[in-house]
Amino acid sequence: MVKETANTASALAGLRIVECGSSAAGAYCARLLGDAGADVLKVEPLSGDPARRRGPFPDDVPDLNWSGLFLYLNYNKRGITADLHNRRGRDIALRLLAGADVLVLADSAPELDRLRLYYDDLREMNPSIIVTVITPYGLTGPYRNYTGDDLTAINHGGLAYVTPGLPDIIGGSDKEPPLRANTCLSDIEAGIQGAAATLLAAINRSFTGQGDQIDLSIHSAIAAMMPFETAQAVYNVPNDREPRTFGIQPNTYIPCKDGYVVLAAWMQANWRGLKEMMGNPDWAESEVFVDQYERARNWDALQPLLLDWTIQHTGEEIISKARTSGVPAFPAYTVPQMVQSEHLDAREFWVHVERPGKGSIKLPGYPVRMSQTPWQFRRPAPRLGEHTLETLEGELGYSRADITMISAAGIIQEIEE
Amino acid sequence: MSRLPLEGIRVADFGQVVVVPYATSFLAWMGADVIHVETETRMTSRETPPFWEAVQGVNRSGMYNFINTTKRSLTINLKEPAGVEIAKRLIATSDIMTENYTTGTMEKLGLDYETVRKIKPDLIYLSVGAFGRIGPMRDLKGYHSINNAFSGVADVTGYVGGHPRLLGSLTPDITSCFYSMLAVLEALYYRNRTGKGQFIDISMADSMVTLIPEAVADFTMNGRPPVRVGNHDKEKAPHDVFRCKGQDRWIAISIGSDAEWHNLCGVLGRPELVDDPRFADMLSRQRHQDDMRPIIEAWTVGREHYDAMRLLQEAGVTAAPTLDAGDVMRDPHLMARGFIATVDHPEVGKYPNSTAPWKFDSVPSFPIRPAPLLGQHSNEILQELLGLSQSEVAHLTATGAIR
Repeated sequence: MVKETANTASALAGLRIVECGSSAAGAYCARLLGDAGADVLKVEPLSGDPARRRGPFPDDVPDLNWSGLFLYLNYNKRGITADLHNRRGRDIALRLLAGADVLVLADSAPELDRLRLYYDDLREMNPSIIVTVITPYGLTGPYRNYTGDDLTAINHGGLAYVTPGLPDIIGGSDKEPPLRANTCLSDIEAGIQGAAATLLAAINRSFTGQGDQIDLSIHSAIAAMMPFETAQAVYNVPNDREPRTFGIQPNTYIPCKDGYVVLAAWMQANWRGLKEMMGNPDWAESEVFVDQYERARNWDALQPLLLDWTIQHTGEEIISKARTSGVPAFPAYTVPQMVQSEHLDAREFWVHVERPGKGSIKLPGYPVRMSQTPWQFRRPAPRLGEHTLETLEGELGYSRADITMISAAGIIQEIEE
Repeated sequence: MSRLPLEGIRVADFGQVVVVPYATSFLAWMGADVIHVETETRMTSRETPPFWEAVQGVNRSGMYNFINTTKRSLTINLKEPAGVEIAKRLIATSDIMTENYTTGTMEKLGLDYETVRKIKPDLIYLSVGAFGRIGPMRDLKGYHSINNAFSGVADVTGYVGGHPRLLGSLTPDITSCFYSMLAVLEALYYRNRTGKGQFIDISMADSMVTLIPEAVADFTMNGRPPVRVGNHDKEKAPHDVFRCKGQDRWIAISIGSDAEWHNLCGVLGRPELVDDPRFADMLSRQRHQDDMRPIIEAWTVGREHYDAMRLLQEAGVTAAPTLDAGDVMRDPHLMARGFIATVDHPEVGKYPNSTAPWKFDSVPSFPIRPAPLLGQHSNEILQELLGLSQSEVAHLTATGAIR
């Protein structure tokens, strides 16, 4: 494989991004651009981004500067505080935007209407600006002003209905309620799409000289994850969440002696291999398990029979036997096992955020390795208001006296050292 | 100004099944000329159901047709040396090359990055593997179930007290598809400024791990493994799905503040609940989730999910219907925003197909054409783009290199 060079070229060096709004999707979008080398400045209200209060916190002690979610969504950025609802705070934002390439603006549509950072106004001032707007339902359409979060996005976009997903019938096949992964999945997915759309506009700008506005709906961002399910629906396959109708088995994870193991042995050759691993039991020759579809249809009978065998062996024993028989079997990891896995370390996937005197926190990195422009962890997430002073004084040319006055009026907040 | 962002960009797409073909569909919608390199001798999604009218056929798979719109199809057999030579001529005229074969396959074919960069030095080469192209697990084949289970995402998904569960949709493929698109665009932006191409290595397993930052942070900060909580959330309650009128119909309701709870009590026609100490604040509501369910379902169960959403949202309550895939393709909001386009496929006829989830101010709508028939554009690509003569094409077809 290709070796990454030690070169420190950044794909997006020189691109200046300003981020406003309280949405995790906007924060992740801007961070991804920062990972690729863009200069990202996050503008927060004086109270701080809501993710600063979300946690998890080290030792469960709430601290605006040590929320795990905030640290993840905001590394590779600098941060300032400014009250954008105030005239002088707004002036700071406009002066930043006059010299910016991109504004990432993400919140509910009604909140953005209150912020009044409209593309039509901003382009008058800066014709090449790209404004990436991410909202729960987009800037047009009948539900524009509806509120939304991860739960509503994944339900309205179709993902919750098909979760637990095929071929997941571990708990039996009684109808279960639609389910959400306990994480901010829709914000991450929309953030990736928003970053890609931003770069499309940036590429286009180099030909046209003109900026653009991107209108990304998180609802659509989830609906865009469903090409297979929507194909089934349009091609008239009933979508009744019935794994026995659609599934192929065994192609799932199953409890074993010390956790779970994934068996992907639906193909006949692999099924024969699996039978061999189990010592060719008589029951496996039954007509009801004759092919992958019958094995799915009769999963309620098959699962306990497989379980009788898997539960007597550790995951490692099963995987090692499977390797000999050529059966695809894999570890099913808990979060702790995944975090400690050799593979992700070997890929240099992790970011390590130092806690002075207390070790470091491991967070997920950018899952992409690029030979010419490797992504870099350049700085941890900003403390609240960490870069207010240097930005106002160094970049915008405010005098110390002005800054003190604006600060005293409660429009910005200088960090207390 | 209505230039499409990727006008003039050509993609030689050796992708299969979902992750890469879906990523290159987005590039096609954005204006790129995407050429899907396929062969009759080894098909994947074209042989995967669902088939139109349940009749199997290489041009009738919904799995293929939904994930390959707006592309051209070139059939060449990469097992034949002459086929590989045609592939190289195509790569030499392309900006981007994409593949997601098992690790090592492109080396065997002689189409790996180190080889093809010699014929196209500024090429952007996207390579996606279940576990990426480096690392101890790089040779493993991955499936949907495996990446869910390996990444820890299944560990944070599940009902209270239950097993880990798999996320629906082809989430590992789709998430990696979005990262693929982003990485290719980063590389293209960089190439446009510097003239340099590069190799991109994406791991579907790594991509999945980016979805669960809180669970990772809680473990690496506090050594605490995740606890499965169904649809609940630590900052909101109620935060769950509730039964609506009809079979297997649901609405999601999410209450993030006391004010929103008071609004919900009003919609339910139960204003007295505002003073019920069990539900007085977020912590109390967290503790009494089970008491709230029958109260809320008494109201939702008699209503259609869309009607319930409208009544709740108009009263200031965050709520949305739980849609199945058929509902998604009929959703009035997605329709109004142009997310669903109509394609007219030569074998299947007219049907709705989703497109990009964002809109540009400068582009009124994205081009969307039906997925290509197998080999539909072979002749025009070989003759017009690669400059082969009619007799050369006939010869290569007869010897099995083109098919």
